[in-house]
Amino acid sequence: MRRSTLRGIPAMSRSFALKLLCFVFLGLISCPIFSQISGTVKSGEQPVSDVTVTVKGTTTATKTNDQGHFSIDASPNSVLVFTHVSFTSREMNIGNQQQVNIDLDPLSGSLGEVVVVGYNAQKKATLTGSVSTVKGADLVKSPQANVSNSLAGRFSGMMLTNRAGEPGYDGSGILIRGLATTGSNDVLIVVDGVPGQIGGLERLNPNDIESISVLKDASAAIYGSRAANGVILVTTRRGKTGKPTISASFNQGFSSPTRLPKMADAATYAAISNEVAYYNNQAGGLNQQYSAAEIQKFADGSDPLNYPNTDWADVTLKKSAGQNQSNVSIAGGSDNIRYYLSAGMLYQDGLYKNGATNYKQYSFRSNIDANVTKDLKVSLYLSGRQEDRQFPTSSAGNIFRSIYRAYSTIPAFYPTNGLPSSGIEGSNPAIMSTDIGGLAKNPNSVFNGILKGSYNIPFVKGLSVDGFAAIDKSWNFNKTFNKPYLLYDYNKNTNVYTPRVVGGSNNLGTLNESQQNQTQITANIKLNYQLSFNNHNVNAFAGYEQSEIKSETFGATRQNFPTTQTPELSQGGTAATDRDNSGSSYHFTRKSWIGKLSYNYSEKYLADVQIRIDGSSTFPKGNQYGYFPSFSAGWIVTKESFMNVSWLNYLKVRASYGALGNDNVGLFQYLNTYAFNNQLVLGSSIVPGMELTKLANPNIHWEDARKTDIGIEANFLNDFNLELIYFKQKRTNILAIRNASIPFVSGIVNPFGSGALVPSENIGRVNSKGFEATLGYNKKKADFSYGISGNITYAKSEIINIDEASGVLPYQKQTGQPLNTYLLYNSIGIFHSTDEIAKYPHLSVAKPGDLIYQDYNGDGNITADDQVRSKYGNIPQITYGILLNGGYRNFDLSVVLAGQAQVSQYVLPESGTVGNFYSSWADNRWSPTNTNGTYPRVDTRTSASVNGGLYNNTFWLNDASFLRLKNIELGYNLGSSVLRKAKLQDVRVYLNAFNLFTITKVKDYDPEGNSGSGQFYPQQKIINIGVNVKL
Amino acid sequence: MKKNLFPYLLLITCLPVFISCKKDFLDIQATDRISEQALLGDSSLFENFVTNRYIGVRLQDKEGDGTNPGFGRAFEYAMWSSLTDESIYNNDDNTWLVQRGLLAPENTGIAGTIWARSYRSIRECNWALQNIDKVTMSADHKTRVTAELRFIRAYRYHDLIRNYGGVVLMGNDVYNLSDNLQDAKLFTRSTLQESMNYVLAELDAAAAGLPQNNGSNWVNGRATKGAALGLKSRLTLYAASPLYNVGTWVAAVTAAQAVISLNKYSLYTGGYANLFTDATAANTETIFARLYTKNAGHTHLEIANGPNGYGGWGGNLPLQNLVDDYQMDNGKSITDGTSGYNAQNPYVNRDPRFYATIVYNGSTYRGATVETFTPGGKDSKDGPENWNTSKTGYYLKKYMNDAYPLQNPWGNAGFQPWYYIRYAEILLNFAEASNEASGADVVPAGATLSARTAVNLVRARAGMPALAAGLSQTAMRDAIRNERRIELAFEEHRFYDVRRWKIADVTENRPAQGINITRSGSTLTYATKVALDGRAFAAKHYWLPIPRAEIQASGNKIQQNTGY
Repeated sequence: MRRSTLRGIPAMSRSFALKLLCFVFLGLISCPIFSQISGTVKSGEQPVSDVTVTVKGTTTATKTNDQGHFSIDASPNSVLVFTHVSFTSREMNIGNQQQVNIDLDPLSGSLGEVVVVGYNAQKKATLTGSVSTVKGADLVKSPQANVSNSLAGRFSGMMLTNRAGEPGYDGSGILIRGLATTGSNDVLIVVDGVPGQIGGLERLNPNDIESISVLKDASAAIYGSRAANGVILVTTRRGKTGKPTISASFNQGFSSPTRLPKMADAATYAAISNEVAYYNNQAGGLNQQYSAAEIQKFADGSDPLNYPNTDWADVTLKKSAGQNQSNVSIAGGSDNIRYYLSAGMLYQDGLYKNGATNYKQYSFRSNIDANVTKDLKVSLYLSGRQEDRQFPTSSAGNIFRSIYRAYSTIPAFYPTNGLPSSGIEGSNPAIMSTDIGGLAKNPNSVFNGILKGSYNIPFVKGLSVDGFAAIDKSWNFNKTFNKPYLLYDYNKNTNVYTPRVVGGSNNLGTLNESQQNQTQITANIKLNYQLSFNNHNVNAFAGYEQSEIKSETFGATRQNFPTTQTPELSQGGTAATDRDNSGSSYHFTRKSWIGKLSYNYSEKYLADVQIRIDGSSTFPKGNQYGYFPSFSAGWIVTKESFMNVSWLNYLKVRASYGALGNDNVGLFQYLNTYAFNNQLVLGSSIVPGMELTKLANPNIHWEDARKTDIGIEANFLNDFNLELIYFKQKRTNILAIRNASIPFVSGIVNPFGSGALVPSENIGRVNSKGFEATLGYNKKKADFSYGISGNITYAKSEIINIDEASGVLPYQKQTGQPLNTYLLYNSIGIFHSTDEIAKYPHLSVAKPGDLIYQDYNGDGNITADDQVRSKYGNIPQITYGILLNGGYRNFDLSVVLAGQAQVSQYVLPESGTVGNFYSSWADNRWSPTNTNGTYPRVDTRTSASVNGGLYNNTFWLNDASFLRLKNIELGYNLGSSVLRKAKLQDVRVYLNAFNLFTITKVKDYDPEGNSGSGQFYPQQKIINIGVNVKL
Repeated sequence: MKKNLFPYLLLITCLPVFISCKKDFLDIQATDRISEQALLGDSSLFENFVTNRYIGVRLQDKEGDGTNPGFGRAFEYAMWSSLTDESIYNNDDNTWLVQRGLLAPENTGIAGTIWARSYRSIRECNWALQNIDKVTMSADHKTRVTAELRFIRAYRYHDLIRNYGGVVLMGNDVYNLSDNLQDAKLFTRSTLQESMNYVLAELDAAAAGLPQNNGSNWVNGRATKGAALGLKSRLTLYAASPLYNVGTWVAAVTAAQAVISLNKYSLYTGGYANLFTDATAANTETIFARLYTKNAGHTHLEIANGPNGYGGWGGNLPLQNLVDDYQMDNGKSITDGTSGYNAQNPYVNRDPRFYATIVYNGSTYRGATVETFTPGGKDSKDGPENWNTSKTGYYLKKYMNDAYPLQNPWGNAGFQPWYYIRYAEILLNFAEASNEASGADVVPAGATLSARTAVNLVRARAGMPALAAGLSQTAMRDAIRNERRIELAFEEHRFYDVRRWKIADVTENRPAQGINITRSGSTLTYATKVALDGRAFAAKHYWLPIPRAEIQASGNKIQQNTGY
């Protein structure tokens, strides 16, 4: 029985934890004193040779041997200095110890660096795949609340776009090498070896991150069916043998929108509403809504009650919002026990005045590694996090929608008595953003536990077995209490303020609560073999892994609360119709066999072979298993004797090819399925209704990716490094729904706004290709060091096959085009007069001020046949980054610039009588009195206008290229004399800024967004000051 | 030490193996959906599938917002009336493109979903009809359910025919994904005559199998014999009409008489206005209706249509064109010099249905007087939220129920029934067909009343004087057409009536008119105005265009309607 076995896991880990605790104490007992000091230097698991060990203040020195061992004469309490060209130097006070073991951190990017790859680690020098890495130490120099925002621009091949900035939902979308499929492009996140760990990447405490590796090519194939979109491997920090280090850090940030659209002022809007009325009834003239005298009053502010001029963003939003992070950690260990313990806290305030939005996060981590015997090692990683999100009952999207919709001609608060107005249709954003209408509390708890073990099988050299069992849990709760509140309409004729109840339901409170619990259990075991003879080095493993994910959701609502003082389910209305509940669950399982063989000859000729066999419950029997092999090879040319070129320090050529999969689709699509849809009323009650929800695809299986990657890496002239990569990918059997080729008469019709009737079918094909280039230069001279590095990625997709109607016009086809392009009319100008209209094909209703659409097919009429595909979509084809860092004495500076190009974003603002206008449009609109306007005439609703939603066109398509100063940080390290006095190891203070400036052609909104209406919580510019202390 | 640890080592290494011992680790059962076999294995689930065919799928925004659409557009935001000379929709929402003659295969606005939704429902009915024999159910009940499915399918075809003309007839075919979906059969439109014949035959079959009355085993809301006969009456009337010309007036007389002869239905006596706010629809006039109740999703009637001075959105705005067609309560048209109509005091002594249908300046709405005058009227542009003020000077009254909240109506309003077929329509169908077949005063063979009697029943219930005997066929035709316009306003008839009478090129090319009321002291001055510029109708608009996506999906093989 699986159930009882699963239940056994926590019990076992509990008793195990007790034993572990004992070992911690044992390991801390110190040993007797000798003057002959010996020890081992390692980096991670690997011994490091050629490390220079010096007794500080003396000339006594030695070097470590192949096993990393050294011995040296030193008196008690002396300090040993460990230095190596590829590792960061470390100093260690030996105290009374006779035996010292020390861990060295590889220098970032150096060849000796050990890089975490799928299921093991490899020296960077022997890598044969395209793997980008970043150290946690670099990430914390961009102290973002959301880790995903710290990654932009740092390396090639990875596109991070920050779409919005609401606290709690401010992460960046991650794409590796652009879009490659019409299906899910989600990247697999692996944390400490657990694929798809619940909790993900974004909310990890950046201080806990040791390193992040990104597998961009076939090297990810070891993750098989989930690897097609790339894999991000996160490794958290672990304790190192040596004296405990206590670190504490704090930073305080101030965030404000990167940009907000400037909206039309009251006088302009009043003139616009006259024009809107005029276009609907030209005989009525240009003052149907407001007289010239009234417009003057809007302009001069002489009557702020009746003729206000409201800047809704200004009345709703603060100039800046605070955020802070604090973190403390203790790391250290003895030979047998190493520990890393940390706790972190994060607070982010929302941008609203008196706003209800904020985000609080508390996290802890305890990573303990123990050598139980010479051959047996166990580790226990425990981490937990509480994410407390709080919002007003209106969503950020709604609040910003109302900010941009509410007219500047309406006051937010009446100047006479301060009462709030009803804004736009009962939505006053200055009130919606507060807790007056109630609160939405959304706490989420995450727990991740990993128990790892490894055992060197004593009788066979190089043979070991390891494995882990991991439990992930999350508990997500939501409690939203909607309260009714009053807004006021002022009648100037009667001088009466009429209250209007909004919020709640039926003028009473209403409560929604829901809970989602998720569990993932992953188990892994693998057999490893490592062998070196002569110059042959073999490293191989074979393993088995399985995982199971369960999710349970339930919800309850209660309406008609007699009082808003009792926001509890038990205290709501008593009628049967006042109560409702809901629930759902899902469950899926995977099992996998994995194997990898790495071989190198003298670290000169390198080859890797990987295979994964994946089984998934998402697919029907017979299609449940997929095979994902990959191969890669490398040649370190500079190791050849014939390549003795003095300026070329290192040159590697490598290539990889492999099969990867994507299984990210809905469950049970191999069945015709029916579900209840209870909306039909018969008699006096709602009767259960059965709805056909999915037609079967009995043949559903994986989406396949074939990735090819060729790269060179070089170091030259001592200080330069270069990486060039060409990549291509063929994605086949893409899981997509047929939504264009199936005629409606067949009755197979997908509904709007809910799941498709048609199942995912393996029908699409997309090829993508591109290149990455990185060039860096680093120099260190005495007390001055600096480095600059630039990277660029070009990734272009081409649709080979997508579901299209058989009658679609050749030039409107998606096939042959990149993914995500728009189908639009070409806007080629504005009709300035009726004469101009007569001269060019036009719509029957065309008037002066309307956009001119290109008669693309030249048939003399403007019809849907004149639409053409845009060149670019809203995923950039080019992304690039520039990194600068410098240090002078105690100062250090790091800069990250990130940019994108070859990208278009369509934004049609919700304007007209339904909303205000961007001032860029309002000020430049064509009108009967401004016939030279560069923007089209205004209309009742942009969404139904011939200049907007009825004929979506290129006028509203913007070039969303930008170059942005993503991060800049200036730090100062306190001098050693000060530190000694304070008995501190290290103190660093810094000033940091995120999204400080942006260069772009987009006028009104942040070009990093992807909202087609421009209505979203804007991206944030954040200024931080902070301090890090180590003792 | 080593010895002690061995069990743990064993555990760690073997744990995954234990877990994987279960052979069917990848075998997961769904708990939130059922398979086709399960549905067919349980007769009550099967019946739940059948009755759910009374509602369809949602295919666009601002449609089926709170609850999935049934047949037609009903109460959703912009009503179907706002594509006609009954009203305009204040906030456009893709109705003005129809009013302005921009209707095209690529721009179908709110008229773009009938094609796809109808065919989806037809497929589902066909699937149930093909599988009903596998379901355990009493023979009697099976007969009724079969007839019900054929009725629903016929209703969908009726929706297709009256919008597109000749349609693709699917028979009992159920297409699946594995079938050839480019099959020529799918793209062959039958003629209007063939389409009409098929549906009428289906309705005969449905009427034969459906029970005459609702009851505990056949609850209110499910189709009865009367619904099938009522729909047949409508379709035979359409078939005989000039645009269709594929049937006879005599057949239409017979079909309407069949409903009358059921002796089951009569006009509601609680007042014309109350008929539309009675949430139960359990009255003698209801032949077929959609019901709503709390927690079944909502429509937005009150807030969407209420005047801006009350915080409403002033949605479907009656046109002056309609207002002018209400007679005086003496039965005379306002254009009749002897009617007593005064253009400067236009709202007195009108047909009582005017007061039940239209909110106008000076009328009482939710206990307050409506003010659409300027300057200063609270329901005019000088009132609050003036972007929602009426462009026509009128607001919708029909269906509005003051007992429901106007503000904050979500889940607490919108329980009015939507009448698909009511008895007044049948009487007017009869009157029209009978007049065309036999003249105003003749009782046709096999019938029990004359055209005049039928119209007068409707007029009498409304409180209007009877039409006099001796009207010419033409005069009677005009009277009946006007009676339909007034009695059935906002019930999705006008759109089809002006087309089948082939008068749309006149009525739909008239400007959309409204009223400007100016107050000076206590004097009100009335002047008509254009409420929406650019109203236009072309000959091609007698039928809707088949959506461009469908033509393309057929590889351009489906014949598009003429002119598009």
